[in-house]
Amino acid sequence: MKHGLVMDNIRKWVPFLVLLVLVLFFAAVNPHFLSLRNFARIAVSSSPALMVAVGATFVILMGSIDLSMEGTVAVCAVVFAMLLNRLGGSLAHMGWLAIPGAMIAGGVLGAVNGLIHVRLRIPSFMASLSMGFVGVGLSLLMTGGNRILIGDPLFRSLLTVRIMSFPLMAYAALGGLLVAWFIQGRTTIGRNFYAIGGGEDLARASGLNVGRVRVIGFVLAGVFFALGAVLAVARLGIAETETGTGFMFLSITSVVVGGTALAGGSGGVWNTLVGVLIVNVIGNGMVVVGLPDYLQDGVLGLLVITAVYLSMDRRGLSFAR
Amino acid sequence: MFELRNVEKRYPGVHVLKGVDLAIAPGEIIGLVGENGAGKSTLMKIIYGAVQPDAGSVLIDGAPVHFRSPRDAMKMGIGMVYQEQSLIPNLSVMENIFLGFEQQFVHLGVIQWRRMAQAARVQLRKVKLDIDPGMITSRLTFAQRQLVELAKVLALEERVEGHLVILLDEPTSVLSKDEIDLLFGLVRELRRRASFIFVSHRLDEIIALSDRIYVLKDGIVVDVLAAKDARVETIQKKMVGRDIALEYYRENRQVPFDAGRVLLELDHVVLPGRRHEVSLTLHAGEVLALVGVEGAGREGILRAIFGLKAPERGTIRIRGEAMRTFSASNSVAHGVGYIPRERKIEGIASGMNVYENMTLSQMGRYSRGGVLDIPAERALARDWIKRLSIKVPSEESDCGNLSGGNQQKVVLAKWRSGGSDIILLDHPTRGLDIGAKEDVYDMVRDMSADGVGVILVADTLEEAIGLSHTIAVIKDGEIRTWFNCQPGAKPSLYDLIHHMV
Amino acid sequence: MTDRVALAERLRRHFPWITLTTLTILVGFTDVNFLRPDNLLNLAADIVPLLIMAIGMTLVIYIGSIDLSSQSIANMATVLATIALPSAGVGAGVLVLAVGLAFGAVSGVVTTRLKVPSFISTLAVGGIALSVGQFASGQQALHMDAGQRLHAFGWMVGRTAGIPHELVVALLLVVVAWFIQGRMTAGRTFKAIGAGEPVAVSSGIRVERYKILAFALSGMFAAAAGLVFSVKLSGGSPTLAEGFLLPAIVAVLVGGTPLTGGVGGVINTVIGTMIVAVIRASMLYLNIPAMGQQIFFGLVLIVAIATTIDRSKMRIVK
Repeated sequence: MKHGLVMDNIRKWVPFLVLLVLVLFFAAVNPHFLSLRNFARIAVSSSPALMVAVGATFVILMGSIDLSMEGTVAVCAVVFAMLLNRLGGSLAHMGWLAIPGAMIAGGVLGAVNGLIHVRLRIPSFMASLSMGFVGVGLSLLMTGGNRILIGDPLFRSLLTVRIMSFPLMAYAALGGLLVAWFIQGRTTIGRNFYAIGGGEDLARASGLNVGRVRVIGFVLAGVFFALGAVLAVARLGIAETETGTGFMFLSITSVVVGGTALAGGSGGVWNTLVGVLIVNVIGNGMVVVGLPDYLQDGVLGLLVITAVYLSMDRRGLSFAR
Repeated sequence: MFELRNVEKRYPGVHVLKGVDLAIAPGEIIGLVGENGAGKSTLMKIIYGAVQPDAGSVLIDGAPVHFRSPRDAMKMGIGMVYQEQSLIPNLSVMENIFLGFEQQFVHLGVIQWRRMAQAARVQLRKVKLDIDPGMITSRLTFAQRQLVELAKVLALEERVEGHLVILLDEPTSVLSKDEIDLLFGLVRELRRRASFIFVSHRLDEIIALSDRIYVLKDGIVVDVLAAKDARVETIQKKMVGRDIALEYYRENRQVPFDAGRVLLELDHVVLPGRRHEVSLTLHAGEVLALVGVEGAGREGILRAIFGLKAPERGTIRIRGEAMRTFSASNSVAHGVGYIPRERKIEGIASGMNVYENMTLSQMGRYSRGGVLDIPAERALARDWIKRLSIKVPSEESDCGNLSGGNQQKVVLAKWRSGGSDIILLDHPTRGLDIGAKEDVYDMVRDMSADGVGVILVADTLEEAIGLSHTIAVIKDGEIRTWFNCQPGAKPSLYDLIHHMV
Repeated sequence: MTDRVALAERLRRHFPWITLTTLTILVGFTDVNFLRPDNLLNLAADIVPLLIMAIGMTLVIYIGSIDLSSQSIANMATVLATIALPSAGVGAGVLVLAVGLAFGAVSGVVTTRLKVPSFISTLAVGGIALSVGQFASGQQALHMDAGQRLHAFGWMVGRTAGIPHELVVALLLVVVAWFIQGRMTAGRTFKAIGAGEPVAVSSGIRVERYKILAFALSGMFAAAAGLVFSVKLSGGSPTLAEGFLLPAIVAVLVGGTPLTGGVGGVINTVIGTMIVAVIRASMLYLNIPAMGQQIFFGLVLIVAIATTIDRSKMRIVK
């Protein structure tokens, strides 16, 4: 029994150890990797990804999956940019309303996604995938395929202003993470995600309104996708349909690499932070050590397999799907 | 105070409950017994709100109530302690106790863990369980979880006015003797706070604990007895509606086994996580029962023989050949067949039809170059449907839709048709009604007559005693003693229990 | 009552093709030209690579897993086929199929032996395939020599009696997959794994081997899809088959093979692929503006899935 507990505690830290080993490895190959400037670079690439992955974490904790992020991020980015430009073009005046505006857009898309999944009883994989198509299409319709440039210096300060060498957006993402942590640990809805992931019929038998919790989970995911979208726009200064591209597989991979099980019920947002950092450290490290870019997809794949293999709790798991 | 009047329930094609009346007084403990299919579980579901009756009324203190969900019932003080444990393993104990009722601890949207823990401690004290409410539920023992479930139901006390009615569905099936005593003591003490409806297939326990016993048969309450004058035999007779054949376990068909032919031998085998060596020998035609309390290590031995678990030391020999690799496929290739306890998970593939299920373990024999000979498969299935009189529309029917007894027959046919002659039966009659049980007993005798060796982990001790030639009593992973079980010279329940605990 | 349930149950199995016919007729109403045989044939020929990939994908989804490497393997196949054509001729095709088989097998090994969920393992193996494709191609589009292409794979293109040859190739592959699924021990085992893996294990089946086989076959079919595509377009590039993955998964699911596996199968996927093709083509006939096509596709997809999938056995919808 004791032994089991010790093993449990070690296993909890495995993703973090993997991250540490990766950092040490890349630092050993190229000392420049260890510079603050480079860490800031990793922080910039991780911040939007973290928000999107945190959103996905809530859904995965319930044992469902959300693949709508590429569409949702695109729509939210475009909504944000359009509102900002329409409301005077600067956060300093009415423009700040664009941020809650984008979050509402994300929440609405999430709600539609969740309702389709729960009400029509379509597996979340399919419902959210379809909603992803709808989202991408919607953003295309809104932009007409054009890019929307954001010039507001105040908004861009998320990227340009640095405190202790890290850009503001890193702190913003950290703030988002803390909010997510709070939701996960200290609110009824957060704990209900775990309950559903741990045993849906049991949760239902205890009188939990599972459908409602699920929909709320998707809404929450949509809101975090919106935050990711805002940070992604801050990073590039552009909002377009393409803003969402690439988030889907990377965010799910990050969640799993961080140690949150796709089956639901275990893991959480701190795991996702570690997972996002692992994926981004690998991405950044490969560039820093000068790996030819055509090899990077393959090496990322190999490292992800290794990381998941090391961090997964395989006891009681007789087979993987 | 709680009453059902003339409750009716129909499902497509079945009239499950035909006007059931039931009444519970405050502080009373009621026993509810009946065969599988008698309507017991539907009746319970109506009581705790999972199912709505088609007709009749549910009354609390004389006033009619309607439950649309278990939650409605909970609000009126009716709670269920589930047979399949209903705690969510990845949550803490306190979260499980207050699942769905967290709102009382939420202040400005924040859960106050300290307050929840305090409240949980109050509930845990009621069941005399001294554990940290923040502990993750999966780390508790079975018995502890059962008590937490009880505490969860008792937590209703503070939320509802009036008395509680608590359903206990087979609460003792996974508990040891000591734990059962503890539970019963607790229930008796809690009568001040609640009434209980106690469902169990262990009639002696029902008689020991309850005040009155409702006997349900074919959707009708056939009798209500006072527990103090009730006897196991009379209840059994009422449940079945006829005298159970003296030869219930087909002891008249038990013939001595062939001591000259050894099929299986465990030679000083040590299983992972166990300290003791296990040695046993199975002969052709022998039924060898492993008895012991839950967790004594019976399943481990079965799983080792079936290759799902490799022994740390010692040798397993099948027909004299020592096993080197341990996998289910290796054991199957050596003629071992396994009838698992979890029929719906490991026994039957629902969604696949009868012939597909039957040939699953022997596709090599029904194919050439990887191409299946489907007509031969069908012929096999038709043959065995006839031989075991499996009730099924055709060999193409989905096995998921068959009754438990017929599913069990399909699993048995799978192994027997493949020529397996070492059959491991893990709770083969679990969840079957008496008729289907008798079929299984007949099949065991048939197998013996064909020279098949059977290792049995039985549902009840009576079953083990009735069916077997030899009994090995297991405690803490060790074979404590052996009993010879020839008809007429069978050991008594007391003999066995004496060595089990 | 029970009769009605049984009827609904029986009808349910036919929902995918009923949906397909309904959709086809609906589009036919707006423009009768859509229903002309040569138009339908062209429509079918156009989706051949997608169909082949979806067929392979079916085998993996049938065992309750998923294969996200198909598109990358197809991409790699277009590159390798183009590179190998001058030296190997028809052998280039064999080579490509073997490579696809190997990559699929790696996914299978990682999933079964290392117990990494297939969602991640196949994604990662897809990354490796992408790298191989990029490395081999030097990250640019390659072209086949017209003569060599005609010599080695001429039989794949062209028509006989108005029927496009690639359609015949695709149908042959469908028949092969259907035979594996319905008539061979491998297919039966796949079904058992999807219906209930523990049952397959406790029936003494070497489940891991069969799972690896399913992934390997999926990889091979993905490579075949890439091969057909590269012959069709007379070239290869590491991004040629971009945008195939999600439609292939969608085709399988719309056809009625659920992600949990065990039911549905190859024929369902043929119908599912055609549903996807009709939805896409319908946008042209319904004059859906280019900007709105994605939305239309997503919405029709939800409707199509809502009508085709069988929820009767789903207690919990995740």
